[in-house]
This record gives sequence, C-alpha cells and structure tokens, in this order.
Amino acid sequence: MNIWLTGSAVLLFALVPCGVASFRGDTVERLVGLEMAGMIVTLLLVMLAEGMSRVNFYDLALALALLAFGGGLVFARFLERWL
Amino acid sequence: MSAATLAVEVLVWVAVITCLVCCLGLVVMKDFFERLHYMATVSTVATVALLAAVVIEQGWGQAAIKMSLIVIVLLVMNAVLTHATARAARVRNLGHWQPAEGEKIAGLDEIAGGRKDH
Repeated sequence: MNIWLTGSAVLLFALVPCGVASFRGDTVERLVGLEMAGMIVTLLLVMLAEGMSRVNFYDLALALALLAFGGGLVFARFLERWL
Repeated sequence: MSAATLAVEVLVWVAVITCLVCCLGLVVMKDFFERLHYMATVSTVATVALLAAVVIEQGWGQAAIKMSLIVIVLLVMNAVLTHATARAARVRNLGHWQPAEGEKIAGLDEIAGGRKDH
C-alpha cells in the first residue's frame, strides 16, 4: 500500500463532516456540504488513480469535477428562487 | 528514501490534512457565509499540492496534463460556485441581491471614493 492509497483512505474521513453539513441547516446551507464533497471525491479519485498507476482513471476525476461544477451551479440557480 | 519520494509524501499529506481541516471548519462554523470560505482552501492548496506531487512522481506526462486540467476546473468551479451559492442564499433571504435600503457594506466607502449616496 503506497502513500497515495494510504492518503486516499485517510481522505475518506473528510466526507463525514461534509455529510453532517449536508444534513443540517437551511436548504442552501446543505448545498455547501455537497459542493465540498464533490471536490473531496475528485481529489480522492486522483489519488486512487495515481496509487493504482492507472493514468486513464484520471478521466473519472476530470468528469466528476466538470459534472459537480454543472450540478452545483444548477442547484444554486434553482435554490435561488424556485425550490 | 530519496528527496523526490519525501517531497511526494509531504505534498500528499499536506493535501489530505488541508482537506480534513477544511471539512471540519465546514461543520464548526456557525454562519453560512463563513462556511463558504473553506471551499477555497481545498480548491487551491490541496489541488496544487497534489499537482506538484504528481509532477514530481511522473514528470510532465499524460497524468500531469490531466491533473492540470482538473486543477483548472476546480479553481474556476470554486470561484463560480461560491459566488452562485452566496447569491442564492441572499436572494432567498431578501428577494434580491442588491444592498438593502440603508445597509452598510464594509469597504464600499473606500471603493466609491468616499461617496455617501449609496
């Protein structure tokens, strides 16, 4: 188990506070937990790709980063007035 | 242990610890607008540390180029999402995002050159 896989295992614990933040507060306040979780999981996928020496797996992290960006933006836009 | 391996280990742990601390800050802070700031550290310090670690380990290859793209996306994403989320919260509370009547905004006097009519 190399440093990347160890680091990614430790990084999993960062998702717990994101989950807690997503479970409490106003609807918009919960969105911050989701956005943070999107970034953390993107970094997690990068570390797993590097740890397993699979360069192709970087595409997963890139796709997640782009989708989390679009998703967060749509959520923020809809929470502004309609939800 | 070579210097490159040591540098990679340090950078990976810097990224992981930054993420952990910022996620804890997300829970600890009471105010919504204070919480928003913790996303910035993850998208700058942690991502750039991981990019540096990847470059040190593999050189400027395919992995480093893909990681650079991810860093760019995360940097832009954080700036835009933070603005959009803060604006959404303000619009939900006030119905609009412009300053309310008589609302004091820190630093606006300096920007407007001492104008008092806002």
